[in-house]
Amino acid sequence: MSRETESLRNARISRAQFFRMMGGLAVAAAAPATLAACSTQTNSGTTAGTGGAAATRLRFVGVADQKAPMDALVAAYQKVKASVAIAPSYAPTDQVQTSVRTQLGAGNAPDLHVVYPGNGSAMSMNQIASAGLLADLSAQSWAQTIPTGFKPAFQHEGKTYIYSAGSSVIGAIYNKKVFEKAGVDAPPTTWSEFLQVCEKIKKAGLPPIALGAQTPWVTQLITYALVPSTVYAKDPGFDDKQAAGQTSFAQSGWRDALEMYLELQKRGFFNDNPNGTTFEQQTSMVATGKAGMAIQVSAVLPDFRKSAATPDDLSMFPLPGADDAAQVWIPAGVVVGLGAAAKGKNVAEATAFIDWLGKQENINAWAKTIAAIPLTQDSSSTIDPVLESFLSFTKDRAVPFMDQRWPNAEVQPTHFAVVQDLLAGEIKIDEALKKMDEAYAK
Amino acid sequence: MTHLRYGGRTFLLEVVMIVVAVAFLFPVYALITLSLKDPGQIAESPLSLPAPPTTGNFGAAWSAAALGPSLANSAIITTVSLVALIALGSFAAYFLARAQTRLGYGLYVLFLLGIVLPFQLGMIPLYRLVTDLGLIGTHAGMIIFYTGIQLPFTVFLYTGFIRALPREYASAAQIDGAGHLTAFTKVVFPLLRPITGTVLILNAVFIWNDFFTPLLYLGGSGYETVPVSVFAFVGQYVSDYGLVFAGLVLGALPIVLIFLVLQRYVIKGFSSGLKG
Amino acid sequence: MSVSTQPSTRRRKRRSGALSPPWLFAAPALLVYAAVVLYPSIAGVVYAFTDWSGIGDMSFVGLANFQAMLGDEQALGSIVNTLLITVAIVVVQNGVGLLLALGVHARIKSQTLLRVIFFAPVVVSPVMVAFLWKYVYNPAPGAGLNGLLAVVGLPSQDWLGDPSLALWSIVGMVVWQNAGYSMVIFLAGLEGVPAELHEASMIDGASTVQRFRFVTWPLLAPALTINLMLSTIGGLKLFDQVFAATGGGPGYATETLSTVLYKQAFVFGKFGYSTAVALVLALFVAAVSFIQLYYLRSREVAQ
Repeated sequence: MSRETESLRNARISRAQFFRMMGGLAVAAAAPATLAACSTQTNSGTTAGTGGAAATRLRFVGVADQKAPMDALVAAYQKVKASVAIAPSYAPTDQVQTSVRTQLGAGNAPDLHVVYPGNGSAMSMNQIASAGLLADLSAQSWAQTIPTGFKPAFQHEGKTYIYSAGSSVIGAIYNKKVFEKAGVDAPPTTWSEFLQVCEKIKKAGLPPIALGAQTPWVTQLITYALVPSTVYAKDPGFDDKQAAGQTSFAQSGWRDALEMYLELQKRGFFNDNPNGTTFEQQTSMVATGKAGMAIQVSAVLPDFRKSAATPDDLSMFPLPGADDAAQVWIPAGVVVGLGAAAKGKNVAEATAFIDWLGKQENINAWAKTIAAIPLTQDSSSTIDPVLESFLSFTKDRAVPFMDQRWPNAEVQPTHFAVVQDLLAGEIKIDEALKKMDEAYAK
Repeated sequence: MTHLRYGGRTFLLEVVMIVVAVAFLFPVYALITLSLKDPGQIAESPLSLPAPPTTGNFGAAWSAAALGPSLANSAIITTVSLVALIALGSFAAYFLARAQTRLGYGLYVLFLLGIVLPFQLGMIPLYRLVTDLGLIGTHAGMIIFYTGIQLPFTVFLYTGFIRALPREYASAAQIDGAGHLTAFTKVVFPLLRPITGTVLILNAVFIWNDFFTPLLYLGGSGYETVPVSVFAFVGQYVSDYGLVFAGLVLGALPIVLIFLVLQRYVIKGFSSGLKG
Repeated sequence: MSVSTQPSTRRRKRRSGALSPPWLFAAPALLVYAAVVLYPSIAGVVYAFTDWSGIGDMSFVGLANFQAMLGDEQALGSIVNTLLITVAIVVVQNGVGLLLALGVHARIKSQTLLRVIFFAPVVVSPVMVAFLWKYVYNPAPGAGLNGLLAVVGLPSQDWLGDPSLALWSIVGMVVWQNAGYSMVIFLAGLEGVPAELHEASMIDGASTVQRFRFVTWPLLAPALTINLMLSTIGGLKLFDQVFAATGGGPGYATETLSTVLYKQAFVFGKFGYSTAVALVLALFVAAVSFIQLYYLRSREVAQ
């Protein structure tokens, strides 16, 4: 009883204080009306001062990788077409996937949103287009010029549903200074040469390959870099055969690729604890000369350069997955793109924006920002000089990223998980391939 | 209070507690020192004190994440939601704590159910509802959402506190001829001050920090909140730790400051709420 | 005191019915709660009985999703992880919280500052904490926490990469963030222990341990109830920290029910199945917390 009365007395003494606090809240609560009237809109800057409010406002939801190219192009579009304002928002891939899927499911998709090429993920062109939720872009002029090899990434049942500015390749992003110090004169062109290069760097006291397998998507890159040589160079029709059930991961060169992956680990060519190392740490290791190279997709070159003291130290070469240089193939995949919601209120304006993105100069601008190879090229197209060594492959010895032909969204995460388990020594290659085949069959 | 002298044992305890606190602060130390270094310094000596410290990361993070407008959005949404939560929550809890009927108990359990439901269950129907009401991309939509989603916890805290209060106050007021409304607003509500402090800070923390909901409901509307801006920015500069950590510090600073101002109430609120 | 009109027990009893506030007081809250939580959750349950991908058409499949769960290795494995994480968090977070509370409740001079320090991580967003801790958990020797271990001569650890350690590293992170929360609730309980009781027991010559065991501990029962309940619910529903720290990996070593249901819905495009998992999780959490509440409350009364 005495405790209670005491707490009540305390409460009473400072009641005035309490009301002051609540008063402050009330004032703050009254403020929004005025504040909101001013300017809390983060993106309205694009319309301000360019002669009145835009008539149409298009929502775009994209992944963080798209921010740099989109911000520049959105600003440029504003000058071309002042009546349309594009309000973009970006977030890490997982969150975007969740929010866009929810919006699609509830029937209120943003006018424009991120779409992944081909099939194989919940936000991929095939999955969303087959639910009838993407606007048909087939009639646009840029869509007529999509190179044949890339058509499966852009098209579902013969119609184009995704815009993408080009392709990126997977290979080794390496630090030239580290290679020099280790006495490596030229990038390797066969698998044995590659192992020798690694050996030299290891002797020089550095981990030859930085691997950030804690970040799930990084786990897949070494397999993806090898499989074109171990599977597709021997059998370009592998995807169709696998779809028909005539072959499987376990019965194919996928086994060789995983064996080579683990050989790199067994020889001590990775940094310690790859499963605990993140993409960011991997990036910084190579950029600051604490490791020789990282097997990565060329789209992250800007990230590597940002964390390097001298960005010119970084270059890239194709990972040779075979001992016969002629049998070396590389992965070249269409980069993440965008589509327009089929059932939105502003379909016409949204597709018009995509049509504008399809102009060669805009393809060039987007591709340049993310170090991609432009989808189509003209005299003003530029290709990042470090990708020089890939260009001889892109015509007839390149295959799209494997997941773009996988029938469901479970194979890719299964691949991530089994690679981590293999690196941790928890499972054997047989079991890994079995799990992937099971996921493929679902 | 324990009437111990400040003797040798207490001194020893003090030393131990300070050592624990220093170890506890290690991640914060990493966060702050890294945000004050440029990439070169980070590569060289990640854990040393920044010498010399650079504040360039903060300026760059502020402008890259467009934090100014986002701060206003977050402040509006958080403040109005808190007022609504305190008003609706305390009124409801007063009924739930005082009603000695089955209805009162049933409603209390119904509210508690809200604490255990996973948010994913109702995500799509709720998004549909908010769309139909035309509240996507508005402050009002977010405020209604946060009020609804945080009411169970708010009601839980208020009900526990009110149950521990003696009934006599309100009764006395009513004998004096005041109605329920007056008795509550004039007598009971002022007594709820300590728990209101707790309700305020815990809900403010949740609402201010929530990232997914504003991304879902405000993404592309131009009314993004602080976490949405910060994470768009973090995603873009993943490997530049100094810049990213500066962004994280800026995003967390307002709520940490509010906490420092209100921290007395937090502990008091709990302590009065648990009595009885 | 100004309270002169203390009614007698008899009078209060007679009047309490009439004096209980009208149910209209709860109506606005109920309305908003029903619209934002109850209605959508009930409407969402329907999906558990469909094969909906999350977009496009759907058809009803009866109980097929629940049957599929029984044969789903990942879902079953994640139940074990969820329980391990929950038990570890409940024990460690509350143990640490209690020790911190006892420490800062004593008459030390840095009391206020220490309370603020220990509670501060609670106010930072879990996603931000996970981001920071991924840096702290850098496996390279000399970096992050390993740097700190090196100072005291302990070997480096692969915190998030070692499948047998990752789960506990996540628990460590969660405990770091939430121990202050438990501390504050225990502190509240401790401040309710009357000083006279302590003094009396000291005069009786009771040791520190005895005083804690027989005086303090029983009076902490209400604080313990709330702490156990909140940390159990938090552990069972844990998502943000796991997802941001490991995404369920390495392999499936840190997959919890929450990450499984997330992946099923938004990564695999199996919304119907995911809802079935969510429903099972909800029933599970509800059952555990209500049993816990019932048991602990009856124990409080017994004491």
